[in-house]
Amino acid sequence: MAALRALRWRRLPGLAPRRLRSTAEPPEERPQFPGASAAFSERLEFIQPQVLAGIPVYRVMDRQGHVLRDTEDPQVTRVTRDTHTCPGALTCAHLSHLCPPVPTCPQLPREEVLKLYRTMTLLNTMDRILYESQRQVRPGTMGTPGHTWALTWALTWHTWGRISFYMTNYGEEGTHVGSAAALDANDLVFGQYREAAVGAAYAIKRADASRAVVCYFGEGAASEGDAHAGFNFAATLECPIVFFCRNNGYAISTPTAEQYRGDGIAARGPGYGLPSVRVDGNDVFAVFNATREARRRAVAENRPFLIEAMTYRIGHHSTSDDSSAYRSVDEVNYWDKQDHPISRLRLFLQRRAWWDERQEQQWRQSSRKMVPFWGEIPR
Amino acid sequence: MNLFQSITSALDNALAKDPTAVIFGEDVAFGGVFRCTVGLRDKYGKDRVFNTPLCEQGIVGFGIGIAVTGATAIAEIQFADYIFPAFDQIVNEAAKYRYRSGDLFNCGSLTIRAPWGCVGHGALYHSQSPEAFFAHCPGIKVVIPRSPLQAKGLLLSCIEDKNPCIFFEPKILYRAAVEQVPVEPYNIPLSQAEVLQTGNDVTMVAWGTQVHVIKEVAAMAQEKLGVSCEVIDLRTILPWDTETICKSVAKTGRLLISHEAPLTGGFASEISSSVQEECFLNLEAPIARVCGYDTPFPHIFEPFYIPDKWKCYDALRRMINY
Repeated sequence: MAALRALRWRRLPGLAPRRLRSTAEPPEERPQFPGASAAFSERLEFIQPQVLAGIPVYRVMDRQGHVLRDTEDPQVTRVTRDTHTCPGALTCAHLSHLCPPVPTCPQLPREEVLKLYRTMTLLNTMDRILYESQRQVRPGTMGTPGHTWALTWALTWHTWGRISFYMTNYGEEGTHVGSAAALDANDLVFGQYREAAVGAAYAIKRADASRAVVCYFGEGAASEGDAHAGFNFAATLECPIVFFCRNNGYAISTPTAEQYRGDGIAARGPGYGLPSVRVDGNDVFAVFNATREARRRAVAENRPFLIEAMTYRIGHHSTSDDSSAYRSVDEVNYWDKQDHPISRLRLFLQRRAWWDERQEQQWRQSSRKMVPFWGEIPR
Repeated sequence: MNLFQSITSALDNALAKDPTAVIFGEDVAFGGVFRCTVGLRDKYGKDRVFNTPLCEQGIVGFGIGIAVTGATAIAEIQFADYIFPAFDQIVNEAAKYRYRSGDLFNCGSLTIRAPWGCVGHGALYHSQSPEAFFAHCPGIKVVIPRSPLQAKGLLLSCIEDKNPCIFFEPKILYRAAVEQVPVEPYNIPLSQAEVLQTGNDVTMVAWGTQVHVIKEVAAMAQEKLGVSCEVIDLRTILPWDTETICKSVAKTGRLLISHEAPLTGGFASEISSSVQEECFLNLEAPIARVCGYDTPFPHIFEPFYIPDKWKCYDALRRMINY
């Protein structure tokens, strides 16, 4: 049938025009190449990157903490959908199709959700205290009678903080805590070290079929060859690993527009054979649901999964960075005020009457004391 | 057995003894481009002997990850010339894993094997001897055998060593060198040089293929000059056996070091520097280094490039007459 269509052949430079394909060949003929066997096409068409653009962002809550679809509420117990019967899960050829997520997490009871909140806020508190601790000059440690004032000032300014270097998590608490809550206690966690994470996953697959590896990295680290090697090895060697990419908008000062031109990191996964999803990283339930399901399937199917959690880095890259040099304070404030993972979860908790202002104040007081050096930092 | 068969035998022993041990790299499944892994996949299964994608960085990184869980990882890099994409993984990850975690974690059960050295027609990218790059990296071990018997014992020691090891295999000897080699496992200790022949006048040090060259030079020196040479195979490049070398030079007063790798920054310079510190007053002549030239490894000019027995003999003669 297709053979009888009038074909317009572009004349490729240096080549004679092609003859029409013989109509005697069976119409269901498929390519036999060992490298790929998708159907033949007689139209020269470059796949535009936009085909992959806009992998949607999975979320459970809106910014005011409303759960938008009951089936996604982690407090609801759900039946596991058998992935082999899901038409989209393993065989889907359409890059834009996404199988509707059916999380199979067990119920996240109230105490677990409160634990999520306390952990996120404790992390935030820890960040404040330890960041200040790194910054702090300890008075009196260098003062000796012989020094001039200027020399003393210079020496104390230089290295007398408690910590040499610190990186905060401001704005990204949802990604860390939501995903961590979805893991098992025996799972292995790698921060960076993408290829090593894959090797570890391979080894634990041989040793124990119930454990998973999760590997965290940023959208900047995803540009390194390590990520390419990690994705490809994980897929070819069938490793139970969840790659968790925190896309927070910046790699130190480099914005995403200078880091990549494709549709983020999630779009790369299918290229390697990884089922991939993009989630709202500031929605701790979305992160939890996605990580839980990815982990379950990674172990069940011995294959890697990719989660790209979209979020925003509210703090500086580290204590050696001042981000006002490359982004506006307005942009930072927007995210801090309009879409913060802790705020969204607190709104959810308040809606359910699981948390109130009194508990908030009590927790703020008690959580500070759990962090080292808290007593040395002025409130 | 020849050299590649002795390697296969060592790997066979390792996989038999240690159920966590796995072998991986490019083309290892069918037996390897140098036949070092022939028969192992059939014997131990495809989850233990398997191909990886073409990515040295991935091969070594993946191997580090396996080793971190405590399993034994035996990675093959197809030619030592291709090890450089994995340089970051070796130097920044493998070598520093234990140190940076305060011994909480380590990748000591990682061994990386690679064919090494000149082969007659290898040219720029199938002939290199990169041991000097890795000698500069605390945290790993670098080992180079001279023969099948040595290779099996040293490889088994590398595999069992609690540090990540790089094991370079002289590819020109894969088929050419044949010896009686036990089929049972045995170990040859690392960081111990071997004195192959004692002598009083000149110490000659080499490793891998070049050991056979200096053995021949020692015979020539004895016959033509009446000079008795002490011939030493260094065997482990890092950490190297300073004691054996220095003791020998203290006795003979003359040292000749020879390697195929380029002269500048080659491992002979490390040995030379350390020996002159330890044995300065014992030296009768400047330490001689007979090495490859400071150029890429040539194709058609290989016979002129390599430190052959005539170049070594010439250097020895100048040392004797100094």
